[in-house]
Amino acid sequence: MSWAAHDLEPYAFQRHLNLKVAFVPLLIGSYAPDMMSKWFVYGIHLGPWELKADNPAQFHRGWPGVGFTHSFIFGAVIALILWKGFGSKLWGISFLIGHWAHALTDTGDTVGTMLLFPWTQHFHVDAWAYAGQTGRLTDAAAYFSGLGGMWDLVWIVYGFFSWRVLTTAYFDNVIYRADAFWPWLNRWVPRGALLTAYRVAFFYGTSRWIAWTLWAHVIHHYPYDLTWGGPHWVPAAHP
Amino acid sequence: MLRPDLPERRDLVAFAPYVAAAAVYIAIGITWIDFLLSFWVALGYLLVTVWLLPLALRRLR
Repeated sequence: MSWAAHDLEPYAFQRHLNLKVAFVPLLIGSYAPDMMSKWFVYGIHLGPWELKADNPAQFHRGWPGVGFTHSFIFGAVIALILWKGFGSKLWGISFLIGHWAHALTDTGDTVGTMLLFPWTQHFHVDAWAYAGQTGRLTDAAAYFSGLGGMWDLVWIVYGFFSWRVLTTAYFDNVIYRADAFWPWLNRWVPRGALLTAYRVAFFYGTSRWIAWTLWAHVIHHYPYDLTWGGPHWVPAAHP
Repeated sequence: MLRPDLPERRDLVAFAPYVAAAAVYIAIGITWIDFLLSFWVALGYLLVTVWLLPLALRRLR
């Protein structure tokens, strides 16, 4: 799984697609595959009870499980609902781009995604270890010690290279104009707050990457292992 | 000759509050890790630090 790439990819797509996409559904699409499932992968405590998947990797990416949320067809169905059901082709296409980017990015780990569901074949590049089954903290330590963390860094660098998409002028001339959602929201929320909200995913992804990296390597001294499929000090899950 | 697209001074001035907010966010996050887990917490935090607080200070002056 990826930790910060899904926050940052939408800004990279925005840079190239300008008025052809709407940023909000692009971002929602980028978050959508994990939206309802991540908490059950890591587990939560409700009083004396722990709610957690018996096999987190199977639940998250497999079938039976909710792995279909990482497939092309899932993104296409939601996009179609947005287009035909709610009448917004722009939101449908934008959601689709964000969603497919997430599904493709997650093929980078050792579990991969069922891109062509209902065909349950997992597509996986095996560049970094999937360690969701070890719990949130070990997963974070592993992710930010391997090529997954470096992949996120690529998006951060590309995001800074695309800094113009974060400017006020770009927000006013492209983001705000491309999607009627922003003027609608502007009826209640001031423009300055909207601009800040537009920038939040970039802030979140970048700050979180730095914070987790410091936590893993300065505070806890987890070893880096940038070899293919690493870090090998964590037990990687496979389909 | 190709020249890099570098930000101007006013762009950096607009960027500065986000850098300051990020430094504090990171410091809180590595101390209390739960702070890093939610997009909505980050949204609320950023709205307060980068938009609401400067707005309130400007009104008070």
